[in-house]
Amino acid sequence: MNDQVRIVRFSIFDRLFHVGIMVTFLTQAVTGMGRLLYSTAWGKGVVNLFGGYEGATTVHNTVGILMIVGFVIHIAYVLAKVEWKSWHRSLFDADSLVPRWADAVHLGQKIRWFVGLGPPPAFDRWTYWEKFDYWAVFWGMPLLGVTGLLLMYPLVTSYFLPGWVLNVLVLFHRAEALLAMLYIFIIHFTIGHFRRGMFPMNECMFAGSVELEEEAKEKPLWIARLQEEGRLEEVMVAGPPHWYRVMYFIFGYTALLTGLYLLFTMIVYRNFIEWH
Amino acid sequence: MRSQRLLRRSILWMALGGLGLLLVFPAVAPAQEEVTTSIRRYKDREASTGYYEDYEVKPRRMRPFVGVPGVLRPSFPYSPKTGNIRIRTYLADAHRSVKFYKAQSCVECHAEEARNVHTTRGNITCRQCHGGEPIASIAHYFSPLNPVRRHAYVCSKCHEGSDASFATYVVHEPKPGALETRKTFPSLFYANWFMYLLVVGTLGFFILHTLVWVGKESYHHLREKMQREPEAESPPEKPEAQEPENE
Repeated sequence: MNDQVRIVRFSIFDRLFHVGIMVTFLTQAVTGMGRLLYSTAWGKGVVNLFGGYEGATTVHNTVGILMIVGFVIHIAYVLAKVEWKSWHRSLFDADSLVPRWADAVHLGQKIRWFVGLGPPPAFDRWTYWEKFDYWAVFWGMPLLGVTGLLLMYPLVTSYFLPGWVLNVLVLFHRAEALLAMLYIFIIHFTIGHFRRGMFPMNECMFAGSVELEEEAKEKPLWIARLQEEGRLEEVMVAGPPHWYRVMYFIFGYTALLTGLYLLFTMIVYRNFIEWH
Repeated sequence: MRSQRLLRRSILWMALGGLGLLLVFPAVAPAQEEVTTSIRRYKDREASTGYYEDYEVKPRRMRPFVGVPGVLRPSFPYSPKTGNIRIRTYLADAHRSVKFYKAQSCVECHAEEARNVHTTRGNITCRQCHGGEPIASIAHYFSPLNPVRRHAYVCSKCHEGSDASFATYVVHEPKPGALETRKTFPSLFYANWFMYLLVVGTLGFFILHTLVWVGKESYHHLREKMQREPEAESPPEKPEAQEPENE
C-alpha cells in the first residue's frame, strides 16, 4: 500500500468527527431499537445489556446530549474553517460541501448513464451522494436532537407546549431514527463497502488519504484542478501504517456488522416496529 | 484463483438469497407462551390458582389461521338494557349492563387500548389509571381521569409535578395513518404523512439509485472482462470487429 501515490482527502478532524458519529449513532441505534422492540424477547435482551429499560434510556439520553455537543462543535469547526474575507468563493468553490448547480447536473448525467444514454459524470472533489450523506446528518441531527431533548424532559416541555405535542414528537423522533438507520445500513454501507472496487472497505475515511490513480478515474476534475493549481505535490502523503490499517479494519467491520445485525433484526421483527 | 472467486461469489449470493427469503417468510411469532396477549402477561391472573385454562394460552399478536371458538368478542356484547345507553362517556359505571362483565378482562374488549407505551414498556395496568370498580367514564364528574383532575390524580402518581398541559398527552393514541385521525388528532395525522413521504421518498430514490449503480458497474465489469478474455487467446482482429457492433 505504501508504494502507491496517495493524496489527502480528509483531515484528522474530519476523521475524528466521523468516528465520533459512528460510535454515538450506533449506540443510539442499539439502545433505541432495544426499547422500540421491548415487547419482544430480543428487545428485552438488548435492553438488559444496559441494565434494563431505565438504564438503556439513560445511556440513550446521555449519548444523545453528547451527539448534540458534537454537532455544535462541528458547526463551530466548520464556521472557523470558512475564509470569511472571501466567503463566497470559500463557500461555493469545488472544495466546499455546499451543494452547487453542478451537483444537479451530475445527478442528471448519472441517471442518463443508468439508462445507457451517455457517459458517467466526471466528478470534482465531492460527489452529489457524498454531499447528500453530509447534509442528511444536518437535517437528521436537529430533528432528532430537538425532539429528543424535548422528550427527555416532558414535564418542562409541557410548560411551554401543550402535552399532546409529545405524541407528535415521538412520531417524528421514531420515524426519523428509522429513516436514518435504514439509510446508513442499506445505502451508506453499500456505497462504502459493497460497490465494485470498494469491497472490503473504502478506507479513505479512516486512512484520510486516497490512491491517486484510483481517484483520477472517478473524480478526474479534482485531480485536474489540483494539477492546474500546482498543488498536487502538496497534498501527497504516505499511506497509513500497517498497525493502523489493522485497527480501523477491526473497528470498521465491528460497526458494519452491528449495523447489518440491526438491519437483520428490523427485517425479522418488522411487525413489532411501531411507527407512532 | 477462479474457484476462490466462485466460492466468494456463491457465499455472497447465498447471503443475499437468505436475506431475500427472510422477507418472504412470516415474521417470528412465539405462539406458545402462556399468556393471553403479548402485553397483559400474567397481570390478569395475579390472584389465580396457577392452573391455566386452555383459553388462557392464546397465541400472540400474529395469530395462526385458526379461530378459537367462544374466546373472541361475541356479536352482541351488551344486554338488552344497554339500548338505553347511547353515550358511555358520562357514566359513573362505564360498564353498566355489559353482559358477563365480571368474567371478562379489560383487553378482551379493549385490545387496541393495551397497545401503548404505558402498558407495553411501563408495565402499567388499566386499573392503575382508570381506577377500581366501578370504573367511571373518563368524562364523568368524579372520574380520576376527568381532565379537571387527571394531572393531579393520575399522571402525577409517576410524573411528579405534572400539570394540566402535560395531561393532554394522548395515552391511547389513534392510528396516525387512519383517515379518522385527521379529525381527532390532525397534527399527528399530518406529521405521520409528512414523515411517511419523507422516508419512502428518500429511501425509494436512493435504494433504487444504489441498486442500479451497483448493477450497472457489475455489468460493465463483466462486459470488459468478456471482451478482454478472447483478446488474450485469439488474434487481435476479433475485438476490432466487435467494437463497431457494440457501439
